[in-house]
Amino acid sequence: MLRLTRVASGAAMLLGTALCHAVPDAAAQRAETLVIATGQEAALPIPTLISGSGNQDVADLLFLRLASLGPDLRTAGDLGFTPELASSWHRRDSVTLVFDLNPRARWHDGHPVTARDVVYTFGRARDPKTGGKLAPTVRHIASVAAVGDGRVVVTFDRAYNEQVYDAVFHVQPLPSHILTAIPDSLLATSGFASQPIGNGPYRWGRRVAGQFVELHAVTDHFLGPPRIRRVVFRVAESPDARLNMLLTGEADALYGIVPPLANLGRVAANAQLRLITVPINTVGYLLFNQRSPDNRGRPHPILGDVRVRRALVHGIDRRAITRSLFGDYAEVPVGPVPQLSWIRSLAGPPPPYDPAQARVLLKEAGWRDTDGDGILDRGGRPLALTLNIPATSAPRRQMGLQMQAQLRQLGVRVEMAVLSIPVFVERRNAGQFDMEIAAARMDPTPSGIRNSWSCASVGVPNANVGGYCSPRIDSLMGLALSSPEPAPLWKAVLEQIRADAPAAFLYAPMTIIAIDRRFREVAIPPLSTWSTVAQWSIAR
Amino acid sequence: MNRVAEILRHVRRSPEGRLGLIILTAIILAGAAGPLFLPDPLAQPDILGGANLAPGTGHWLGTDQLSRDVLARVVSGARISLTVAFIAVALSITLGAAVGLVAGYVGGWVDVILMRVVDGALAIPRLFLLLLIVAVWEALPLAAFIVLLGTTGWFGTSRLVRGEVLRLKTEPYIQAAEALGARRHRVLFHHLLPNTAGPVLVAATLGVGNVILLEAGLSFLGVGIRPPTPSWGGMILEAQEVLFVAPWSSVFPGLAIVLTVLAVNLVGDAVREAVDPQHA
Amino acid sequence: MLPWIAGRTAQAVATFVVATILIFMLMRLAPGDPLARLMGDRPMTREEVATLRRLYGLDQPMIAQFGRFTYGVVRGDLGTSIEYRLPVTRLIRERLPASLLLGGTVLVLNFTLGVWLGALQAVRLGKRFDRWLSTISLAGFALPSFWLGLILAWLIGVKWRLLPALGMMDPLLPQDAGALTRALDIARHLVLPAVTLSVVSIAATIRYQRTAMIDALAAPFIRTARAKGLSERRVVWRHAWRNALFPVMTLFGLWLPIVVTGSVFVEQVFSWPGLGSLAANAISGRDYPVIMGTSLLAAALVIAGGWLTDLVYAVLDPRVRHG
Repeated sequence: MLRLTRVASGAAMLLGTALCHAVPDAAAQRAETLVIATGQEAALPIPTLISGSGNQDVADLLFLRLASLGPDLRTAGDLGFTPELASSWHRRDSVTLVFDLNPRARWHDGHPVTARDVVYTFGRARDPKTGGKLAPTVRHIASVAAVGDGRVVVTFDRAYNEQVYDAVFHVQPLPSHILTAIPDSLLATSGFASQPIGNGPYRWGRRVAGQFVELHAVTDHFLGPPRIRRVVFRVAESPDARLNMLLTGEADALYGIVPPLANLGRVAANAQLRLITVPINTVGYLLFNQRSPDNRGRPHPILGDVRVRRALVHGIDRRAITRSLFGDYAEVPVGPVPQLSWIRSLAGPPPPYDPAQARVLLKEAGWRDTDGDGILDRGGRPLALTLNIPATSAPRRQMGLQMQAQLRQLGVRVEMAVLSIPVFVERRNAGQFDMEIAAARMDPTPSGIRNSWSCASVGVPNANVGGYCSPRIDSLMGLALSSPEPAPLWKAVLEQIRADAPAAFLYAPMTIIAIDRRFREVAIPPLSTWSTVAQWSIAR
Repeated sequence: MNRVAEILRHVRRSPEGRLGLIILTAIILAGAAGPLFLPDPLAQPDILGGANLAPGTGHWLGTDQLSRDVLARVVSGARISLTVAFIAVALSITLGAAVGLVAGYVGGWVDVILMRVVDGALAIPRLFLLLLIVAVWEALPLAAFIVLLGTTGWFGTSRLVRGEVLRLKTEPYIQAAEALGARRHRVLFHHLLPNTAGPVLVAATLGVGNVILLEAGLSFLGVGIRPPTPSWGGMILEAQEVLFVAPWSSVFPGLAIVLTVLAVNLVGDAVREAVDPQHA
Repeated sequence: MLPWIAGRTAQAVATFVVATILIFMLMRLAPGDPLARLMGDRPMTREEVATLRRLYGLDQPMIAQFGRFTYGVVRGDLGTSIEYRLPVTRLIRERLPASLLLGGTVLVLNFTLGVWLGALQAVRLGKRFDRWLSTISLAGFALPSFWLGLILAWLIGVKWRLLPALGMMDPLLPQDAGALTRALDIARHLVLPAVTLSVVSIAATIRYQRTAMIDALAAPFIRTARAKGLSERRVVWRHAWRNALFPVMTLFGLWLPIVVTGSVFVEQVFSWPGLGSLAANAISGRDYPVIMGTSLLAAALVIAGGWLTDLVYAVLDPRVRHG
């Protein structure tokens, strides 16, 4: 028995030593590879089938657009875009654009990229059956036609200043010579879906389920060969696991270091990592439901009163919340304007944190603590509100806990409901909530405000779920979109939103991206983080 | 009930059982009296300056990322965890014993149907079962959560009791009681039920440890006890992202779970020994 | 014998049917929009939502959906995942190897180390070794696996960097690397999750083996062997252990489901690409077809494990058949 024990422990020690040493072959590969940590697996990175940022990140390297947004992210006008598949474009009239494709553009199987591919893909995107959420973004496009192999003519149903943006940005062309042979119902399970053939600077390598996706550089790419030979998207669903990957050198790049703020110190302490800060298009807010959860035709019994909404805004220390989560990397916005938005500079300061003012407003609205239980009441009804939070978001959970404690001081009872994403979304779309913490990714254009804050968007799933409707801002926004001098109009819109308090706007963050220092010439476009990887280089 | 007293005597006499009882008593006392001496477990005194403080005077186990006192939360969590576990297990044992008694004693198609359903339910892993059911409520009240833990834990007990009843039915004294015309409920409650107490008690004590772990796991997945009520699993979930910066806020709740479950299982072991002395 | 096996098999099938119905009912009682994840943060029109709902058959009555589902199961088709838009059978097939590897390793660990320790405990019954190991293995049993996993990942994976703390293989390993290098790489990634899962579950095997061994050591034939003057080591490890192994091996069947269910937490903590995390994700995302597929697989394993155990018992111990 003793002998066996000795043999066993000896073997265990040997095995242990062997296991604790990294595999040497991997080191050579590391020098030529960029490993990006990601939270979502790219199981189906096919434009028009995409859901989720994990798929989009990979698709952005496989599939080019006609042109991409320029460095200043201007969405209006015909210029300021960077050519990709289209080498040039010109305007025929106020509703017609002509794009000339780069004759050297090739699919990864060697076939040239033709106008037929563009027409085919717009057809998919505009068909509600196949386009899914792409369809509404290209709703103003009336027709797309091919002229020969190299020219595409796009006509619009109206004249407006974001026509080029709509024509080039939303739709990434697919290879029609492969796809026309595959019935749509079989596309997701086809060989094309598991081995996509694109036209971007990287070609598909392999996917190892639940672990990573590997892409290889297209060495003879028509826009110039990428200098990084391989890009690996490595999946870890837990944010902590992703950070660990970065800190142990198992990943080279990670998007979204903060929150939690504590991560910043850990990453900064690692001399091998460089931090890049980028403004993004996200705004986080505490949304008030203005319609009754039981009957959408009626105003909300508590939050329908603008005084109560304003009291809640004053009663929440948005600065402390934002600072505790993001440190200096977020600001308290005045309205639904992210850091990327140019109209951000027009707005005044956000309403101050002022519990005294909040108490006055609540009193005005008739809320008093008549039974001495510390919670205000009116007509026998306590001032109690539920707060919906998606279970997957640790930061929103923390914000909820802070707001709960702060509003308790005012005599407002907040019940937190931590919900799984599907329930959260279902409740929100059915209007069955009092308050929720939302984090919205806004469109790059200010007109994106219309999607979630106009009367027309009330009742649209995932849009204006709080039921906020102000005819005044609707008409102001309408004017702003056609006016040559829109700034004062947008300023008025923001002031009206501030006064109506449809939400307590909490944070407009920057994002922090950590990248290993051996990567050089790193540029990060704010909207599609990794799309310019092909232009990075690696120090030897 | 003599049987139970006898088992308890045995537990007190065995060293492991005694250790378990001592730890458990200490935890219960701390949970009951501790909150009187400790800060409010929900208070967030200084979110910007007082978060993630290391253990020291003032905060013996440090503070979490919302500047709440970890010791106060761990102690307060003991109260929640133990209450949830004891009530849930009491519920599942009662249900299991009832179904087992009926199935075993009545027999026939009642038995067949009950046992098929129990088998089917047993085949679905309890964690899956709970995750599926928890989703039915968008925001589960504590009472409902306890009921849920109780109603998903009785399947095994019912099989156990049924087996015991089937065995007892062939015992001469039960057959004698029936032959003498004792009424059904008298046989059930005076003869069968007390004699199943041993195995049921074993299942109950081990069940408590199990439920504590399960509750912690569900709270860790964010579907258990609702914040801000402190629960150990929820504390670990919330502290997960600052594990490296403030390890104390997840290490201590974890230790509390281990200590409690260990204590309960030590007691459970001693109970088992008392019930089944051959394998002591 | 054969009628008994047939009866037991019929019972297993019946149980499976009951489990299927239970799972389906529970799943559809749950609120939550399965299309939520597809919608993302973007506005969608009502028509689009309706189209998608039709596409996945979510607009049909429940009975029709159940019929459609069972018809599929019979043909080996578990439907299409709403989130991944891929066939569920394919998703399961992709994730199965990782789960089998992790679950299998844990089973092997538990049934070698656990059996050995349990037997040793019985031999030293009541001694210090016995008492300590009892307490230690109980302490392991008391550990929440997610917490142990987090702590191990923190200390061993990140702080001391002894072993990788996530994933199943190094993506930087060249594709033409030798089989040994590959195996070693996977083994390195396997250590932490397997140890975590084993620590929290090995106590069951240890205790079971200890009990069986105590019984075996008390059996008459051991007294005979000792009386014959055989060495103590021979008596214990040749005669007694051999007899005590059999009951433990039947436990193997009962532990089979660990392959899918044992590792929900551990897979999440270590990003292990197995079925447990697939299932947990599907439940929180209300991806009905994936939930059904993984739950059915788990139920099938539980039932098959029980069936196998009974069968082995019956073959080796004829009394069972008449019990």
